[in-house]
Amino acid sequence: MRISSCSRNLKWAAGTAAVTICLVGSAGQIAAATLVAGSSRAGVATPTRVGVTLDANTDSAIFAREGKTRDALGFPVGVKRIGQHVRDGFQKAEYDEVTELDSGGNVEAITDFDATGHLRTAVRLDPAPQGGPNVGRDAAIRTAQRSAVAAGLGVGTPSSTDADEAIGGWTIHWLRMQDGVRVRGDETRVQVRPDGRIASVALAQHDLDPAAVRRLGSDDARQVATGNLNSWFAGRNSGYSIQKVDLEWVGPNAAFDPSQVDAPERPYRLAWVTEVKPSGDAAKYVWQISLFVDATDGSIIGGDFVE
Amino acid sequence: MKRASLWLVSMLIAASTLAVPGPTAAAYPAHVWSNSDAFKATCLGYNDTYPQQLYSLSVTQLANRGFGPISGALGAGFTRSALLNNVLSDWAVYVHSHGDNYWAASGYPNVDSGVLQDPGAGRCNSSSDIIRSSSIRSATQGSYYNIVIMSTCMLGSSSSTMPAAFQIDKTKQSNDPEFYLGYVYHTWDSSSLRFEEAFWSYINGGASRTLSGAYAYASGIGGYEPVGSEPFQANWWGNPYYDGAPQRPTAR
Repeated sequence: MRISSCSRNLKWAAGTAAVTICLVGSAGQIAAATLVAGSSRAGVATPTRVGVTLDANTDSAIFAREGKTRDALGFPVGVKRIGQHVRDGFQKAEYDEVTELDSGGNVEAITDFDATGHLRTAVRLDPAPQGGPNVGRDAAIRTAQRSAVAAGLGVGTPSSTDADEAIGGWTIHWLRMQDGVRVRGDETRVQVRPDGRIASVALAQHDLDPAAVRRLGSDDARQVATGNLNSWFAGRNSGYSIQKVDLEWVGPNAAFDPSQVDAPERPYRLAWVTEVKPSGDAAKYVWQISLFVDATDGSIIGGDFVE
Repeated sequence: MKRASLWLVSMLIAASTLAVPGPTAAAYPAHVWSNSDAFKATCLGYNDTYPQQLYSLSVTQLANRGFGPISGALGAGFTRSALLNNVLSDWAVYVHSHGDNYWAASGYPNVDSGVLQDPGAGRCNSSSDIIRSSSIRSATQGSYYNIVIMSTCMLGSSSSTMPAAFQIDKTKQSNDPEFYLGYVYHTWDSSSLRFEEAFWSYINGGASRTLSGAYAYASGIGGYEPVGSEPFQANWWGNPYYDGAPQRPTAR
């Protein structure tokens, strides 16, 4: 990390509001910033995270569950444990969280359970040892399977295994299927550190709408998607190709509908997920688009973008 | 340039001795930039709501960490000149846009990472909108940054040259209070939002929490959709113990 003394001085000087007045007035180099207008923040809800401390006696079952999970995964035992019931406005979720702390107060591991007491996620946060041999793919899968089962998660043969560029090691996925249909994003997932220890275990699972039934076929869905895409791309020096149309359970979202941005999470519905590859001008800034065509009534209930 | 800088510093020292009314507490300016016009009806036929959601989240959360004033723009105000002219005074920078590791004629590994500026209202992006890391590096002049988040595709990959534009080495053992976050491959917007919501949620969970811990937690919750054969992966470089509060390097 290189810091020129000149630049450090400039930034340091800019660090007092009084001096900034002079800076803005005298130097084009550090021009007055475009202040965030009130309108940019207007109507935007600031997420909050509220934690209520759990009591070691009355909430002992939660601490016991955490201890069992921690030991099953080989996570470090802290010198202190803190439990909280969390209302998480960021993740739009409510869960019980137990944190293992070392003697310096540093977080060593964190485990979340949902309202029914099932594991949401367990993450190891103590520093990973540097160097040493990296665990192989097959050994990592075996460790992941063994650990997931020990943590109470039923898993079989993994759906996929990825080498992890960020932490080294491997990420093993078991995708969730319901009645033979994939639930988009839902999975059991285990990260294995390069040293073969478990980094994290997660169960991502959403409620499914029991009233969702498939009334549309894939050809009908393709027609709905094509109708929208033709109108969207008309006269824009852009084209598209539909890569695939798959039936999935999806979460309705605000991708195309600003009025839904702060809406509570809704149960997943059956939809024909239409994967679209833009071409022409649009391909310069959008890599891929997905449209969720409701399999019951043919409406667009959300989508996604790779910008 | 050097003479101009020295002149500026002299002016600042002189100004700081004057009895100027107003606050004297340290400020840690930050900029949040989000390209939204390229993802509006003019260019795609529909309005993509993710740029607004990610912008709002980062504005509130950088302010929560103690950075301020938070400036920048959602939409047309996010231009190359606005970013480059303001980045020197920043302590934290957030960008949401299209990002890639563009080809460079020189320098191993022939990469000059970049992001697309907002094309402006009623316009769509073209290759002339790229803000390259080499330009940002020139504008940062070796200066120091606490938090840099590139909420784009590809700029968390090992070949990204964007961290160096902010003087952040690709190490997870830095001793300075600095943290760079990016995504390794192509990334669905819903995954970026899910990750960043979990990231900020964790850091709001109490004292002694670190940005690297927030990264591990957000990665650990899973539920991220791959893009074709590319898995979702975020990556970070910097100090594993840094808590994300504004901090000068000499304070450690």
